[in-house]
Amino acid sequence: MSRFERKILFAIGLSVFLALGGSIFIAQGALREVYRVGVNERFGAELVHGVEARRGQLMALRSGSEQVADAVGWAVEAEMTERRNVSRLESLLQELLERYELVHGIRVVDGAGQEVASVSRDTDPSGASMRTTTRDRDVDAGGTKLRIAVEVAVPEVYFERLQEAGEASEVYSRLQRQSASVSDVYVWVFGIMVFLVIVVAFLIGAIVSRRVTRRVTALAEASRQVGSGDLTVTLPTGAADEVAELTQAFNDMVRDLRDSRTRIEYLQRISAWQDFARRLAHEIKNPLTPIQLAAQEMDETYDGANEAYRKKLENARAIIEEEVATLRRLVGEFSAFAKLPRADLSPSDLCDLMQSVQASVPAILEDVGHGTPAPVEVQVGCATEPIRVRMDPMMLKRGVDNILRNAIQAVYEAHPSGGGRVSVRAYATDAAGFIEVRDNGPGVSKENWDRVFDPYYTSKAEGTGLGLAIVKKVVLEHGGEVRLDRAPEGGARFRIELPLMEPR
Amino acid sequence: MVSFSVKDLADERVREELSSGLRKRLVVTVGSHLRGSNWRMSVRQFACDATLDLWDDDYLVRIGNQSERLKTLDQVLNRCLSVEGLFAGEPKSYEPQKGKEIYFAVKAEFNPISKKQCSELIRPTSGDDPVGPITVNIVRRRICRAERTIEFRSEYVRVPE
Repeated sequence: MSRFERKILFAIGLSVFLALGGSIFIAQGALREVYRVGVNERFGAELVHGVEARRGQLMALRSGSEQVADAVGWAVEAEMTERRNVSRLESLLQELLERYELVHGIRVVDGAGQEVASVSRDTDPSGASMRTTTRDRDVDAGGTKLRIAVEVAVPEVYFERLQEAGEASEVYSRLQRQSASVSDVYVWVFGIMVFLVIVVAFLIGAIVSRRVTRRVTALAEASRQVGSGDLTVTLPTGAADEVAELTQAFNDMVRDLRDSRTRIEYLQRISAWQDFARRLAHEIKNPLTPIQLAAQEMDETYDGANEAYRKKLENARAIIEEEVATLRRLVGEFSAFAKLPRADLSPSDLCDLMQSVQASVPAILEDVGHGTPAPVEVQVGCATEPIRVRMDPMMLKRGVDNILRNAIQAVYEAHPSGGGRVSVRAYATDAAGFIEVRDNGPGVSKENWDRVFDPYYTSKAEGTGLGLAIVKKVVLEHGGEVRLDRAPEGGARFRIELPLMEPR
Repeated sequence: MVSFSVKDLADERVREELSSGLRKRLVVTVGSHLRGSNWRMSVRQFACDATLDLWDDDYLVRIGNQSERLKTLDQVLNRCLSVEGLFAGEPKSYEPQKGKEIYFAVKAEFNPISKKQCSELIRPTSGDDPVGPITVNIVRRRICRAERTIEFRSEYVRVPE
């Protein structure tokens, strides 16, 4: 794990811990306060009062049932004492049953246990469960011993409510007694939950941050590689964020460095070749005139009569003069290459350049055709809008002419009796201006696409291999690039790319 | 078979609670263990619900599905907390332990709150709150545990060969 990653994780952990740890502290106070509001002595006392009230209600009902039993006993005693009429007892019991709601049944038996009279209430249609008990009263009715059994009943729900109230009061009392520990339980559970959230948040943060830190670490490693001279490094940009922008900028920087280094290396190589050409031209040029003069003098001063020898001298002079002429041409080209000036850039329009190229086409055709225009169709075109670049028009035209001459020669050799086509055009994209020269000649094999720009590389019998090297030097001095590939029509395609003065 | 009495459970407060007219629960658990081990070979438990009937002034005692009426509190305590000849587990539970020393652990609990009422009174509010159910469960255990508990162990006895 890198130091940067550790710092990021520490920052995530600290912020998560502070935020959630603070929330535990606040929640602890809030929970205790809420608990104190909900569970306090006053409510507990009221619950206890409720239980006592329900118990008192039951006791009052019990007392009432005793009184009802007494009343029934007295009424039966009075009836039997005054009238001694057993037949009327049944209706009296019915009246008593209707009068006292608590009473569910009355049964009167004599001293021998024989039932004298009885009444009972119908079952409650609501089906409510009732708790019943019997209150016995012994009476002496004018000498007759009677036992009156009064069955009283109260709804069972009264007892159930007392039970529920009692248990609720007990639970509340315990909650009150253990208020501190109960609220602590809430805080602990909350704390554990928060801790789990912290762990999850930290893990997510670590995973997310790792994606960022990994890219930053890769950038640092790539920077070290670039520092040690490796300019082949390219990093994936990944998601669209600032790190991606930084990575893209890094990639652009490395690519620019790579291009610059390639350009500098090429220009250094060209410079060395120019130096070599200058020396070579100097060393070859000086003896040419004495050689030619010596050959002329040998030929002209011979006054002998040997005709065969004279013929030999004339042939030798002709050969020497021809080879000297060839060497002079080579020396001229070497010298021109050695003296190639640096490009003097100024704002110009590529379309103007195309017009001057158009003007030189007939001369090139005639030169390639050795006096008669070569049968090659040449099209020169440009975009409708000006393409503003900084360039040295003369140098660049010389370069384009070189490419154009090569293209015409190639298609002329491939199609000597006509059918050869060469197209030259200038166009622009958003960031760069282009000059494209393409033909329908034999093209160049892919493995030579880069080599053709090396000095003294040529595939022609009489070539010096300097033309395309000069083109590349000129283009590089313009801050541009020249590339060769295959044209859609099958021949070669040269593309010169130049930076626009004002990107579109 | 084991015989014992845990009437010590009924201190003054327990007696008072049993005379309140509310239903109270007395639970007695007997377990047998190998000497030097807490692992329980067998267990027997019975619960006794006792209520002073405010209507009739006697005690209604319910053990399992059977109920009976007792006149005094002492009778209730004798019925619920004195155990005579209780089978502490099936004989097959003791088969593998023949000749080994065992002891019986007795636990008696008095709880005035029924599990049903406790669950109804202490329950989480409906919602997606993850803290509620966990917390309520812990609180319920604390609040609804037995009010008074006594435990004791028997002397070591050897399982007959």
